[in-house]
Amino acid sequence: MKTFKEFAVPTLILFLICAVAATLLALTNDVTAPKIQELASQTELAARKKVLADAEEFVQQDRITLDGKEYECFKGVKGDQTSGYVFTTVVKGYGGDIKVMTGVDAQGRVSGVEILEISETAGLGMNAKKPDFLNQFIGKTFEIFVSKDKPGENSVDALTGATISSRAVTSAVNNALRLYEAATNQVQLLNGQGGEQ
Amino acid sequence: MAEKRSMGKEFTKGFISENPVLRLVLGTCPTLAVTTSVVNAIGMGIAATIVLIGSNIVISALRKIIPSKVRIPAFVVVIASFVTIVQMLVKAFVPVLDESLGVYLPLIVVNCIILGRAEAFASKNPVLVSAVDGLGMGLGFTTALLCMSSIREIIGAGTFLAGTQSLLALFGENVLGGFDGFTLISGNGALKPMVILILAPGGFFVFGMLMACVNKLAEKKGKPKAELKGCSSCPMAATCSLECKNDIKEGNV
Amino acid sequence: MKVMLSLILTAILTENFILCKFLGICPFLGVSKKLNTAVGMSGAVIFVMALATAVTYPINKFLLVKHNMEYLQTIVFILVIAALVQFVEIVLKKFMPPLYNSLGIYLPLITTNCAVLGVVMLNISKELNFALSMVSSIGAGLGFMLAMVMFAGVRQKLEGCDIPKFMQGLPITLVAASLVSVSFLGFTGVVDGIFS
Repeated sequence: MKTFKEFAVPTLILFLICAVAATLLALTNDVTAPKIQELASQTELAARKKVLADAEEFVQQDRITLDGKEYECFKGVKGDQTSGYVFTTVVKGYGGDIKVMTGVDAQGRVSGVEILEISETAGLGMNAKKPDFLNQFIGKTFEIFVSKDKPGENSVDALTGATISSRAVTSAVNNALRLYEAATNQVQLLNGQGGEQ
Repeated sequence: MAEKRSMGKEFTKGFISENPVLRLVLGTCPTLAVTTSVVNAIGMGIAATIVLIGSNIVISALRKIIPSKVRIPAFVVVIASFVTIVQMLVKAFVPVLDESLGVYLPLIVVNCIILGRAEAFASKNPVLVSAVDGLGMGLGFTTALLCMSSIREIIGAGTFLAGTQSLLALFGENVLGGFDGFTLISGNGALKPMVILILAPGGFFVFGMLMACVNKLAEKKGKPKAELKGCSSCPMAATCSLECKNDIKEGNV
Repeated sequence: MKVMLSLILTAILTENFILCKFLGICPFLGVSKKLNTAVGMSGAVIFVMALATAVTYPINKFLLVKHNMEYLQTIVFILVIAALVQFVEIVLKKFMPPLYNSLGIYLPLITTNCAVLGVVMLNISKELNFALSMVSSIGAGLGFMLAMVMFAGVRQKLEGCDIPKFMQGLPITLVAASLVSVSFLGFTGVVDGIFS
C-alpha cells in the first residue's frame, strides 16, 4: 500500500498543478484572444489605408493563385469607383520571411508599400521599414529592379549593406504587381463572360 | 534558511555579487540574442522579471505540497504557465515587442535563470523573500541586458533607445512627447556605425569583453572570476544522472 | 527535393542555430572543450531534435490546433520534450548500453536546451508540413554539430596560447566564438544563390 501511495500522491499533485495551470491559461486566453484579434485586424486595416490612401472602403476579393500559392486580395473602393487593389505577399529575406503589403492604383502603379512582418538584421535589413526606402516604390510599375550604385529607369536604390533584404522587398512588390495583373485580368474575363450570356 | 539575511541583501545580490548573467553565467542565449537594441533588452528584461517573480512566489507557496520526486516537472509547469500568460499579454498590448522578440519570448521558459532560482531559492524559502529574490535577480538580468544592448546599439546602430514608442504603445500614442530615441551617429557623414556589433559575431564579442571587465573587477576585489562550469550552468544539473556529474569531476566536459 | 535541400542548407549555414540564432549557447560554451564530447553532445541533440519534432508535430496538429488550444503550446511542448528525453534515457540505458555511454549521458543536459524547444517552435511558426519540419529539425541539429565541432577545434588551438590573465577562460572563449561566427556571415545569400 505504501508503494501505491508513494506513486499516486506525486502523480495526483502534478496532475492538479497541470489542471490549475491549464485553467488559468484558458481564462487568460479568453480575455486576451479577442483583443489580439481586434488589434490584428485594426493594424491590417490601418496598413491598407496607408498603402492605398485614395480608397474609402476595402472589399475582400476571391483569392488569387500565383506560382502555386494563394494570395488574399482586397479591392479599394471610393464611391462606386475602383481606386486600386491591395495585396499582401511574403518573400524570404535574410533573417526569415518578410511580409509586405502593396497598394496598386487603378493604373497599375504602386501607391504605397508597408512592411507587416520582418525579422532582418537590426540596423541593416531592418532599415527596409523606413519610409526613405519604401517611398521609392511609389509610382513605379512592373518590373522594378534593385540598383546598387547607378539608379536605373524603374529601379530603387538598395539599402546599404542589405542587398538581400532590398531584393526581397522588391520581389514582394513585383509579385504584388503580377497579382494586380492577374486580378484585373480576372475581372475582365468575368465581364467578358457576362457579356456573352 | 540557515542564516537570516536582510531583505535588502536578497534584493541587491542579484545586481552585483550574484548577477545571473555576468557572475553566474546563466541565460546566455537571450543575453546574446535580444540585445541588438536597448528597447528589446528592456522588453525582454521586464518579461523575464515578471515570470521570475510570479514563478518564485507560486513555487515558494507550494514548496511544502510539491513532492520532491516531481518537483522539476511541477516547476516547469508553473514557469511555462507564467511565460504563456506574459506572452499573451504582450501580444495583446505591445504587439511590436512580440514581433521583435519572436521565438525568444516563449523561450523564457528554458531560461536557466528562472528554473535555477526556483530550484536553488524559491523551493527552500518563504514567499516574501522569494518574491524579493525574484525581483532582484530579474532586475539584475535586465541590468546586464541593458549594459550589453547599450554598447551594441550605440556603436553598432548609432542610436540609443530607438523604437521607444513601440514599447510605450501600451500607454497610448505619443507618450513622453513622442520621444523615439536619439540618433547619435547618423551614418551620413564620415563616421559610420560599426554594424558588425549588432550582428551575431558582435554579440559574442561584446559579451566576451564585458565578462573580461567583470572578471578584472572581481579579481581586484579578490573574488573568483565567473566561469561556466559545464553542467552547473544547466538547471537540470540537480536531477542529472550520476555519470554526468562524474564527467564534470573528471573534467571531461 | 529542391525545397528540402534548400531548407537543410539554410538551417546549417545561413540560419545556424548557435552562431546566428543564439540558441543552445550553454552547451556550445560548456561542452566544447574536447572534440569527442562535442560530437557526443551534438549527436544527442540531433537525435532529440528529430524525435521532439516527430512527437510534437502530431500533438500540435491533431490536439492543440484542432481544439483551438494553441495557447498551451509552450507548456505542452516542454513537458513532452522532458518526458521524451527521460524515456529515451531509460530505454537506452537498459537496452543499448554502448549507445548510452556515447550519447545517453548528454541527454539530461538537453531537456531544457533552448535549441530543442526553439526548433519545435520555429517549425510551427513557419507552418511547415511534417516532412519539412523533420528536415528542418535535422538540418538545425547538423548545424549545431558543425558549430560544435568547429569550435572544439578552435578551443583546442587556444589551449596552448598565452592569453592575458583577465581574458582567460570565458572571455577569450566568447571572442573566439565571435570569430567563428564571422566566418558564418560569409554564407549569407549562398543558399539563395544556389537555388535561385
